[in-house]
Amino acid sequence: MLSSRLTPFLFLAPALIGLVVFRLAPIGIAVAGSMTGTSLMGDLSFVGLENFAYLFTDAEFWSSLQVTLLFNLIINPLQLAVAFALALLVFQQGRAIWFYRLLLVLPMAVSTGLSAVLFGLFLDGNLGPFNGFLEWIGIGAQAFHRNQDQALGTLIGIATWKGAGYWMLFLLAGLYSIPSSVQEAALIDGATPWQRFRLVTLPLMRKPMAFVLVADTAINFLFFAPVYILTSGGPSGSTSVLMYQAYLSAFTFSDLGRSLAISTILLMIILIIVALELRLLRSPEDHAA
Amino acid sequence: MTETIARNPLAVALRYGALSILAFAVVCPLAWLALASLRPQAEIFQPVSEFGWRTFVPSRLTLDNYRALMSGDFPLALRNSSIVAVTTVVFGLVVNALAGFAFAAFDFRGKNLLFLLVIVSFMMPFEAIVMPLYVLISGLGWTNSYKALIIPEVANGMIIFLFRQFFASIPKDFYEAARVDGASWLYIWAFIAMPLSWPTIATSSLMLFLSQWDSFFWPVVAASDPDYAVVQVAIARNINFEQNDWGGLFASTNLAILIGMIPFLLMQRFYVRSLISGGIK
Repeated sequence: MLSSRLTPFLFLAPALIGLVVFRLAPIGIAVAGSMTGTSLMGDLSFVGLENFAYLFTDAEFWSSLQVTLLFNLIINPLQLAVAFALALLVFQQGRAIWFYRLLLVLPMAVSTGLSAVLFGLFLDGNLGPFNGFLEWIGIGAQAFHRNQDQALGTLIGIATWKGAGYWMLFLLAGLYSIPSSVQEAALIDGATPWQRFRLVTLPLMRKPMAFVLVADTAINFLFFAPVYILTSGGPSGSTSVLMYQAYLSAFTFSDLGRSLAISTILLMIILIIVALELRLLRSPEDHAA
Repeated sequence: MTETIARNPLAVALRYGALSILAFAVVCPLAWLALASLRPQAEIFQPVSEFGWRTFVPSRLTLDNYRALMSGDFPLALRNSSIVAVTTVVFGLVVNALAGFAFAAFDFRGKNLLFLLVIVSFMMPFEAIVMPLYVLISGLGWTNSYKALIIPEVANGMIIFLFRQFFASIPKDFYEAARVDGASWLYIWAFIAMPLSWPTIATSSLMLFLSQWDSFFWPVVAASDPDYAVVQVAIARNINFEQNDWGGLFASTNLAILIGMIPFLLMQRFYVRSLISGGIK
């Protein structure tokens, strides 16, 4: 039955060709392209690891790497903590709680780009209400993304506004998957709420928390739209994350080799993160839903 | 556990107090924008010294800002986004449901390896390959075209995964019975499996639609020409350019947010369940 043997592959072909050409092949293109240079005439030539060697002597790259790492060191634990707090707050029965849950997840329906535009307007001194509010309570107007010391924090705030409710959902699913008998047993043993949280809930939430931390990190290493829309990497490079550097290299400086070298570094980081994620999902400790 | 805490009135008050403050912080910017988009053009600027309830509530509500949108570049952006999103939904449903069916109904060589490719493809955020994908697309001569925006987004690992999960939940005997009756596999997929999977079709349509409606980085890179600017790109450009149509920017941003949010609200139960099943199996 030749036709029957071929059937699964005919069904799979359009999707798998799409994934191989537009998801898998670009990884190879990034690696290969990172080893090419473009002359002034536009000719491609093989330059080996020259692009990487140049990157590692480039102060702008190091500063961008530093910004990216700082951004991730703050935003990922922060989003995990906020999402976990939200999940614990809405881990309840009832109509009212359902309504709060809905409000908290609303920002996940707003794209990252539109979130950036929304806060660009909301935080603007002339157009938005927030600086007026800060004046009113006596703190005084702030420059936010237009100030070198506040820009990265402002972007972290915007991304957390958008992301916290989304990650909350995964942690909430984790909370629901903790068998109620375990909590009841602790209750009968006379454990205080804090003891139950620290000794029962927290250990059983390790896997969903690790999942959120890892998946969130993969996304935040590639943070781009708010930087492009609100700060253009500034002021003074304070928000120039690696993904933005990769974009600038290709489209402002026409240095595709440098752009792909940065992309390759980011891809390696992401693939390590994905491998971690896969291990997490396959590990036998199976408390998650 | 939850019940004992609920009986303590102080804990209840604290919980709902904290939730109300957080929910307000989340909703406030959205509500402000929605109201600001209905403001008369003359009231758009809000000096910081005049903070008060008028900062949020317009003196009168008007659709002028929305009407003015119709004469700018926004209708073209809406059209571009709609073409791209709807085409992706139509082709994406067929292509990914076929693949999901193959993973669920057949045993074949290399199945596990191919399924791993599917899973990795949606765990790796799309942004990771935007720059090399641009090299590929410009090599094909597709930049600044609908093709560039649509074709790379049709195959979607998450959607394949969701369809596989659904089709695997139907007993194989069900398919085999139709086989015995002489039906082809394509017939079984189209007229038996697909009609049963309408919840998956609905969520997948929403996911595919939002993946395109929300996408920004790829359109900025692959189709930067104003003729192909999608909604997100058109709006992002308008916040950066020196301009005076702030009312138009408020209205277009609010409209773009609502078009993404309304289907989400209608389908959030299905949507959230599918999302979590993809994240934590």
